[in-house]
Amino acid sequence: MTDTPIETPAAKAPPKTAFGRFLDSDFFYSFRKSPVAVTSFGVTVLLILSAIFAPLIAPTNPFDPASLNLMNGFTAPMTPNAFTGETFLLGTDDQGRDVFSTILYGMRISLFVGAAAVAFAMVLGIALGLLAGYVGGWTETIIMRVADVQLTFPSILVAMLIFGIAKGVTPIEYRDQMAIWVLIVAIGLSDWVQFARVVRGATLVEKGKDYVQAARLIGRRPVPIMVRHILPNVLSPVLVIATISLALAIIAEATLSFLGVGAPPTQPSLGTLIRIGQGFLFSGEWWILFFPALTLLALALSVNLLGDWLRDALNPKLR
Amino acid sequence: MRTLTAALAVSTALSSPVIAEDFSWAVTTDPQTMDPHAVSSAPVLGFLNNVYEGLVRRGKDMSIEPALATSWEPIGDGEGWRFFLREGVTFQNGNAFDAQDVLFSYERASSEASDVRSWFAPVSEVRVVDDFTVEIMTSAPNPIFPDSIANWMIMDSDWARQHLVEFPDKEQGNFATLNTNGTGAFRIVSRQPDLETVLEPFDGWWGEVEHNITRATLTPVQNPATALAALLSGDVDFINPVPIQDVARLQGNDDVSVIQGIEARVIMFGFPHEAETLKFSSDVTDANPFADVRVRQAVAHAINVPAILQTIMRGNAEEVAQLVSPAMRGFSDGLAERPEYNPDRARELLAEAGYPDGFSFGLKCPNNRYLNDEAVCQAATGMLAQVGLNAELDAMPVSNYWPELRADNYDMYLLGWSPGTFDAEHPIRFLASTPNEEKRLGSWNFGGYSNERIDALLPMIQSEIDDSKRQMMLDEVAGILQDEAAYVPMYVQPLIWGTASNIEMVQRPDNFFILRWVTVN
Repeated sequence: MTDTPIETPAAKAPPKTAFGRFLDSDFFYSFRKSPVAVTSFGVTVLLILSAIFAPLIAPTNPFDPASLNLMNGFTAPMTPNAFTGETFLLGTDDQGRDVFSTILYGMRISLFVGAAAVAFAMVLGIALGLLAGYVGGWTETIIMRVADVQLTFPSILVAMLIFGIAKGVTPIEYRDQMAIWVLIVAIGLSDWVQFARVVRGATLVEKGKDYVQAARLIGRRPVPIMVRHILPNVLSPVLVIATISLALAIIAEATLSFLGVGAPPTQPSLGTLIRIGQGFLFSGEWWILFFPALTLLALALSVNLLGDWLRDALNPKLR
Repeated sequence: MRTLTAALAVSTALSSPVIAEDFSWAVTTDPQTMDPHAVSSAPVLGFLNNVYEGLVRRGKDMSIEPALATSWEPIGDGEGWRFFLREGVTFQNGNAFDAQDVLFSYERASSEASDVRSWFAPVSEVRVVDDFTVEIMTSAPNPIFPDSIANWMIMDSDWARQHLVEFPDKEQGNFATLNTNGTGAFRIVSRQPDLETVLEPFDGWWGEVEHNITRATLTPVQNPATALAALLSGDVDFINPVPIQDVARLQGNDDVSVIQGIEARVIMFGFPHEAETLKFSSDVTDANPFADVRVRQAVAHAINVPAILQTIMRGNAEEVAQLVSPAMRGFSDGLAERPEYNPDRARELLAEAGYPDGFSFGLKCPNNRYLNDEAVCQAATGMLAQVGLNAELDAMPVSNYWPELRADNYDMYLLGWSPGTFDAEHPIRFLASTPNEEKRLGSWNFGGYSNERIDALLPMIQSEIDDSKRQMMLDEVAGILQDEAAYVPMYVQPLIWGTASNIEMVQRPDNFFILRWVTVN
């Protein structure tokens, strides 16, 4: 294959870049034709960008206790505070923190934990799946039975178990700093099974194909075969699972934080914000709960819809 | 077998003509032990007041009234007190009550292992005169002694020896941590810590029954919003406390009623007076700035108490400048003003003390003990940060909290104190006296605050009979504590109970919930 496409006088189009080829592909065409995909992609990108640029967008820094004014507490959205006269787009919570800013910062934690947990689960799942599929025998049996056993437990339960153990063994002064990392490992470990099963299945199919046999014949070692040859060919289902897992990981993180075992109140994630807001549900300060919950809903739903569409788009049988 | 029992239970319930008055209530903190001498905290003592009894008890208006003693009189010229015990009282296991049980309970409650031994600091000896007369000798005249022992609960000596619980065990727990045998109006039928505790009336109780409860269930519910939802849905009949933000809404609801009052409990910050260095600081590691009075005063000026009361407490609490509220006996009227909120003054004081840029430190807080405790600490963290004091907040459940404080793992901490005797002398004895194991003083003075003058004044206050002289000494102590900013008192916690509207009960200002005053209509 050469990089320069053959130019014909009929097609006066300029040389196509990788991006240009992408725009012409079936994949992009089906994306363009699906309003659900376009919308959910738009919402996801918007939310991710606003999380990344939170320090530039947010009117206040909710993590800086010195900047808070308690007298601003419980200000309703778009209503001037009775004491300070300040107005907040989405109101303030009991500590006088701007709800809009806390959502932006909270989303950073939620997205970071979600993405890192999926990355962790993906690396672990792919490695074990490749190994199980390629090596077979006892290795396969052990890995896949462990996966089966873990599948029988709800993942949130596994995550809580890991979180509980980690909390027990970390010294108390480091608990708050460690909480985020423990959360990532806990959610990641509860999620690797999906990846391992899919990758193993795909590997079993690829293993018998000629190119793998050829690679073996010329004497390549098993690890390069797995990583260089088989892995690229099993990646597309992994991409689908990763997207759907991201939505689930974000929800798992929110659930753990809502239960009070996840992100500490000093580094609130969306789940922590919802937990805080829940205390004011009966007393009329609905915005403290409502907006973080709405954001979580939008985030999880759009990522999930995107994942669904991706699954259909990458599935040749549905084309 | 289980089906059979269930069937029997159903048929009994159906055939029984008496309507069972089941009563259930939810609290945020489960009483951590059932041993009346193991932990001196309001959730424990308040709950156990339903099961155990003392020689005297407090009535609906907090006045002292006879309980296991029918009457008492001073001996000679203030040498002690003579108590005449009630005859014919039995413990819940059927054992009879007599003077030996009083002596045994004294020895148990004043022992090394007891958490309530400071109540007996003035006591020199307990003598059994006959089966129903006991003399409690004090080392100095002690006019308020009978007032100070309302929570001293009497345990059956035979039962305790039989189950090898002659001494309380705070840390490990023992038979008495889970089992009870009191003389009170209710006995515990089942106890599952942190899950459920079931009580039933004790048929052999000596007193006149005012309540109509046949079975009462205590369920700890840590989240106040969940407890409120349970009250609204009728799952429980009583919750304590009602989340402060929901009071207004509940007042408009016909199915529930809100009982409000001012509690005796003062919420304050405490400091590590004795510590050599800060434990959780990232910048000051070789000194303890809180040993400097100016730093403590800076804290007092930095905290905007009116703002806390306005927002977090929603106007339901009152500022306070002393370790007791104005409703207590011995409050110093001339010293009622709190240090004003003045961040500039706080910064000046810090600069004078050598910390112009402030420093960082660790603040410990409970998150299920006092009303909105964690929110108050978070707010204080923000206010302190504005003058350069960067607190690293660590909020935890109360069951971990006290051990942390006892192990000196803090640079500053939140404490609420309700004087059991309703007298200003009480916090001096527990919080302001130099800690002294032998004299049983300063047992909740975690920071080891020490002032010679206060130590000298305390015994004089305890033995002074003339009210105005006593008040002058109490004023002096209150003045010293304010000048030295030994603690930073902030506000008096409100008392907010919520009940189903068919329940009648009595709210005592010490936040003790007394089951025998409950009527289910």
